Amino acid sequence: MSNSPYDDHGNKDLSLGNAKGMGEIDTTKHSGPTHESAGEPFLIGANMTGGYGKHGPDILHDCTIAVEKGEIAVIVGPNGAGKSTAMKATFGMLNLRKGHVTLDGVDITGLTPQDRVARGMGFVPQNNNIFTSMTVEENLEMGAFLRTDDYRPIIEQVYDLFPILKEKRNQPAGELSGGQRQQVAVGRALMTQPKVLLLDEPTAGVSPIVMDELFDRIIEVARSGISILMVEQNAKQALDIADKGYVLVQGANAHTGTGKSLMADPEVRASFLGG
Amino acid sequence: MDLLNALVALTNFVLIPAMTYGSQLALGALGVTMVYGILRFSNFAHGDTMAFGTMIVILFTWLFQSMGISLGPLPTALLAIPFGIAGTSLLLLGTDRVVYRFYRAQKAKPVIVVMVSLGVMFIYNGLTRFILGTNEQRFADGERFIIRAREFKEMTGLKEGLTFKTTQGLTIVTAIVVVIALFWFLNKTRTGKSMRAFSDNEDLALLSGINPERVVMVTWIIVAGLVTIAGTLYGLDKSYKPFTYFQLLLPIFAAAIVGGLGSPIGAIAGGFVIAFSEVAVTYAWKKVLVYALPESLEPESLVQLLATEYKFAVSFMILVIVLLVRPTGIFKGKSV
Amino acid sequence: MTQSLRTILLFALVAVLIIGTGILQGPNLALVILNMGLVSAIMALGVNLQWGIAGLFNVGIMGFVALGGLAVVLTSMPPVAEAWAAGGVRAWAGILLGVFTVFGSAMVYKRTRKGWLVGLILLVGFVAYNWVRDPAVSAIEAVDPAATGYLGGLGLPVVLAWPVGGLLAAGAAWVIGKTALGLRSDYLAIATLGISEIVIAVIKNEDWLSRGVKNVNGLPRPVPNEIDLQNDPGFVEAAAGYGLDPTLASTLYVKTGYALMFAVVLVILLVLSQLALKSPWGRMMRAIRDNETSARAMGKDVTFRHLQVFILGSAICGIAGAMMTTLDGLFAPTAYQPLRYTFLIWVMVIVGGSGNNLGAVLGGFLIWFLWVQVETVGPDIMVFLTSGLAEGSALKTHLMDSVAHMRLLTMGVILLLVLRFSPRGLLPEK
Repeated sequence: MSNSPYDDHGNKDLSLGNAKGMGEIDTTKHSGPTHESAGEPFLIGANMTGGYGKHGPDILHDCTIAVEKGEIAVIVGPNGAGKSTAMKATFGMLNLRKGHVTLDGVDITGLTPQDRVARGMGFVPQNNNIFTSMTVEENLEMGAFLRTDDYRPIIEQVYDLFPILKEKRNQPAGELSGGQRQQVAVGRALMTQPKVLLLDEPTAGVSPIVMDELFDRIIEVARSGISILMVEQNAKQALDIADKGYVLVQGANAHTGTGKSLMADPEVRASFLGG
Repeated sequence: MDLLNALVALTNFVLIPAMTYGSQLALGALGVTMVYGILRFSNFAHGDTMAFGTMIVILFTWLFQSMGISLGPLPTALLAIPFGIAGTSLLLLGTDRVVYRFYRAQKAKPVIVVMVSLGVMFIYNGLTRFILGTNEQRFADGERFIIRAREFKEMTGLKEGLTFKTTQGLTIVTAIVVVIALFWFLNKTRTGKSMRAFSDNEDLALLSGINPERVVMVTWIIVAGLVTIAGTLYGLDKSYKPFTYFQLLLPIFAAAIVGGLGSPIGAIAGGFVIAFSEVAVTYAWKKVLVYALPESLEPESLVQLLATEYKFAVSFMILVIVLLVRPTGIFKGKSV
Repeated sequence: MTQSLRTILLFALVAVLIIGTGILQGPNLALVILNMGLVSAIMALGVNLQWGIAGLFNVGIMGFVALGGLAVVLTSMPPVAEAWAAGGVRAWAGILLGVFTVFGSAMVYKRTRKGWLVGLILLVGFVAYNWVRDPAVSAIEAVDPAATGYLGGLGLPVVLAWPVGGLLAAGAAWVIGKTALGLRSDYLAIATLGISEIVIAVIKNEDWLSRGVKNVNGLPRPVPNEIDLQNDPGFVEAAAGYGLDPTLASTLYVKTGYALMFAVVLVILLVLSQLALKSPWGRMMRAIRDNETSARAMGKDVTFRHLQVFILGSAICGIAGAMMTTLDGLFAPTAYQPLRYTFLIWVMVIVGGSGNNLGAVLGGFLIWFLWVQVETVGPDIMVFLTSGLAEGSALKTHLMDSVAHMRLLTMGVILLLVLRFSPRGLLPEK
């Protein structure tokens, strides 16, 4: 017996429709009000408790994640710890029952994800993070959709950051390699010139060499003044470049500290970093 | 043997009708494919939307005719098309707001939305019958022919005549203009690209700041335009009967699937493939062959592969053959 | 409210509606609604089998229903000896040749994958088919075209036509399922839509088979004829005993006879469906529906199971189609309209409750009741609604003329309301 009355009932008939590419975010919802909230970190999701959907079970329990301007914050933890969920919560993709999210001194808890993009948040999902049927350049153009000014210079900046993309600008993004796709994905998110960039496992499924290069680029982005909040499986490498690290266990904060201090913490090392 | 006359007969009985019908199917299939690509379901109400749009055009045509407004040699209906599109847009947007939007919010799977579209189909069908009835309506006026058979014969001295109706010329020209405009829109404009992006990946489109509700709205307006134009051209060329439009659903869907669901260029290719096969298989080739073959080989029978009544069978067989060879249609659609 | 109480109450509602019709609008109409309600319930049961437990979306119900109707003609009409002599054997030989050609080419394609060879076989087969068939068909259709012009049937008892209808529909379903489910992606819906249109095209145009659009009248009946009853003094006397006039009594008698027979079929099919649903087979089917991937991983042949349930459901639609044609006593191909015989059945299944056999049956009765009543009560409502308008005004005339189309609107509105506010239907799957 299936849960939703709106599921496909086992029907996979392609002559009726195709659920591929369907989203999870409710596009019909409207944003609530925002208000000033001074004296907090640049982006903070404070004391967040909640789960997916209206009736879904709580995945986060009083979880707090924050990042300062121009810094890199990394969320690590075991599988199923709610790392991605915590990040998505700061982006408004969760139904928060408690807690609030503040960006640059404004409480944005009531905003829909799309309105958070307009407020300067950029998000790179883990999967399906490029438009596969569109060219690299069209991907970047779509990233700049909200811009009303000339976005050519920003595209050039992205091309400077990821030179390979300039070479492949007219190729469908779906034909690129894993590492190149991630570059397109990050590039697309940079097109809005966000204040904060959220990266969900940007190095998943890429080779170690490509991973190092991606991390280098991410540091470069942070140096340009963009705060970065990142979920990573490769905890060691990630904490290495992190200004701040969060270790989550079962949806709650287990350890918090600078990247270096977490790396040094014997307990963290033993449980999460493989000794 | 008389190749020139054979060519004329071929053009007259196969090429022109198939081009015309193909244009109508292509426009219809484009609408189906747009809804499939962006709203992700097969719209069973498509045929009835077509009937509704054409009905509005007919009503405005009658109004203009009664006011004495005409386009001279061209059908008055052309003047009424913008009003038809506006009316159909209102209907579709209203339906979306009242009906489809709810299921979008629930993230209902396509098959559920298909069921919803069945309900919409009943309502549109009832509306059209309620307002205009089920009878055949003729609303074509203006100059009927671009080339008349007799004039053609006198002009060329050939035995075989060639007829080219105004509505046929109009259909082909309009289809070309509409298709070029649509492709320009989808590939070159910001809104068009945002629609492709939404079709590719809804969530990512949203994260890029594309407003999904706006994409959906523009889609419905484009679909309104496509169905009204396709329906009017079909009605001018043949005749208007709501039930016929409902029946067009099969060839239109077949065209969209043959071309590759979700692919606009596929919809056009599919439309012409279906139209040419239907006409070619149900045409009695005797006349052409009599001209084309030496006397000793002249056929005795009509050389008609299937009776005209079986034209639905043709679209279906083409569909099966294409899917056997290329499971995603001629142009790889979304159905990978 | 528990599910079983809800079921009882809703079925009681249907009973009240039908009996109420009998009291207010006469027993004849009530029986008309009941009889077609029974047939509709069987159709809905068949579709529910496919959609409810396997998630197969069949939009070609009309085709299976029509095949059931064809079965009545082919089984029960007396054979036309003259037509058989004129070319019966040759016509069927032609058909067989055609079938062999298609299957042969499919086999050859599977073995050799040579497109040109298949094309050649098809071309040769097609020419041979026409050469064998065409003269026979012309000869048959020339035999007394006003009365027969076709081969007739086998002259067997009409009740036999019901299982035959099921078999015909099952055969068609096998072909569709093999083609559509065998493709690398699933395209069943468009396939059913296509084949049902083809079925209708065939029975409209193959006059030698079932007289095409000239219809077949006077099909044999499993119950006595009204006229015979009225001429039977015993029956007239018995009717008078109940205070009924013979004409009314005879129609009621005949319709009740149909109702009893249909009810027996419905009960049998319903019990079988319920048993199937609760059997290990039914559990497996639902497991496949709810998680196809894991069912596949467990070694279930999903495609075969889908084919199986598709054939079963279609066969039930075929049986219902044969029963309906028997009830009408007339086989009229032009009467088959997709709105009525495909999409209305879908409304029944969705409104009743997909996945629940009792729900489908309920939907069959309820929607059929509304379908009839909107037509009969609609004009009265319209008279009331337009009472403010001047007599003879154009708008009023138009509205009164259009009232016949109200039923489509009503069905659409009902379907949308149910999908919106009770998406699992009135009797949801447990």
